[in-house]
Amino acid sequence: MALRQETAWKLAFPLKVIFQRFAFLTLICLSIALLVLGKADLVLMERVRTISTDALSPVLGTLSQPVDAINKGIERVQELASLVEENERLRRENERLQRWQTVSRALDQENEYYRRLLNALTDPLVLPISARVVGDSGGPFVRTLLLGAGSRDGIRVGQAVVGPQGLVGRIAETGENSARVLLLTDLNSRIPVVLEKSRHKGILVGDNSASPTLEYLPNNAQVSAGDRVVTSGDGAMLPAGRPIGIVSSVSDGQIRIQTFADWARLEYVSVLRYDLPGLTDRATNPGDLGESKLGD
Amino acid sequence: MLETPPLSYRINRILRGSIPFWLTFLLALISVVPLRIDGFAIVTPSLVSIAVFYWSLHRPYLMPAPVVFVLGIISDILTGVPLGLSSLMLLIIHAIAVSQRHIFVGKAFVMSWWGYFLVATGIALLSWMIACLYSLTLIPILPVLVQLILTILVFPLFAWCFGVVQFSLLRSV
Repeated sequence: MALRQETAWKLAFPLKVIFQRFAFLTLICLSIALLVLGKADLVLMERVRTISTDALSPVLGTLSQPVDAINKGIERVQELASLVEENERLRRENERLQRWQTVSRALDQENEYYRRLLNALTDPLVLPISARVVGDSGGPFVRTLLLGAGSRDGIRVGQAVVGPQGLVGRIAETGENSARVLLLTDLNSRIPVVLEKSRHKGILVGDNSASPTLEYLPNNAQVSAGDRVVTSGDGAMLPAGRPIGIVSSVSDGQIRIQTFADWARLEYVSVLRYDLPGLTDRATNPGDLGESKLGD
Repeated sequence: MLETPPLSYRINRILRGSIPFWLTFLLALISVVPLRIDGFAIVTPSLVSIAVFYWSLHRPYLMPAPVVFVLGIISDILTGVPLGLSSLMLLIIHAIAVSQRHIFVGKAFVMSWWGYFLVATGIALLSWMIACLYSLTLIPILPVLVQLILTILVFPLFAWCFGVVQFSLLRSV
């Protein structure tokens, strides 16, 4: 009996090893298959991703809270040191802005008057949804953010995401209560933009570096460092005229943009719900108040 | 015929045995929590790969290939890279660690640090190549190298933490 058991062990041991090898190879093949399938943009893969991010985003939200608190504390201490100068600077800025406000009020009125004269259509209402950033891309290959709000809150794929300073990116995936933002520095990001002064249109192309490039400008376009770049609204997905950044360098045909967005300090972002009547489908990109909690 | 151990004992064993998995899972979560340090998100050390390497060396039966695969998928989903990239890389790390165990276990710590340095460098280059191939463009390699250096620098710290866990909670598992 003992002998038989021993031979069974002798047989079973290599079997176990073979099984482990087999499982390992299967998993390697499965990983490669997933990579290939992912390239094919399958709906199923997308579902798996969104369901999992949905499940994980509350955990991330909780985990990021203490980090936020610590950061705020540090910031407070730093601010204390430069309180007086900061106050002085802000007072001067406030004066300057108040002058600007008077000018812009007058311009606004004038604009409104001309609009009425020409019977020009105004852009539809843009409704922002504020969402907390719960995760960033922990790696060198993608530039994304994870938000703690999703389709339940009215966020849809393609909507623009803006930070306090300017455009940050667009929504790439949505789950029930989480959404992934493709930052405009990601190498898959393409944003239709316009040079604010010369009104030449181009496409802002991300390349995973900190400063995306401006491409497909007309040949005769005059670009110089310091020009402001804003969204053009082409494609009817993003509202027009949102600030993105300034031209930082022009060298042998390559135009680099310094973005306004402060990538290190994005805590809350606004997702813009934008609906051009007749161009976007209300069901997939609702821009009205009906679905939002603001309308209640 | 051995007597089957009582239920509480088995639960205790299972709970302790799953510690490497939960630790690695937690590290996967932590590595995407926004720290709001300029540029850090791009070069966040790959903590999951440290954990997989360590546990594959010291407790290979608590970090089997299927668990490594699942951890890879989770970190892929969290970071938003193409699904399957991390799991492929982690499986390769696991395979190297398991097959070269006899070189590292029981030797000086510097040996496993050196081993991790070699493995991580190879993996960084491989994953960079796959990511380039996947997007059909040349991705800047500098962030990959910075991430690699940071990961190698924090390796001793995490290895020490894992060592503490291993010799306290996992002594008998």
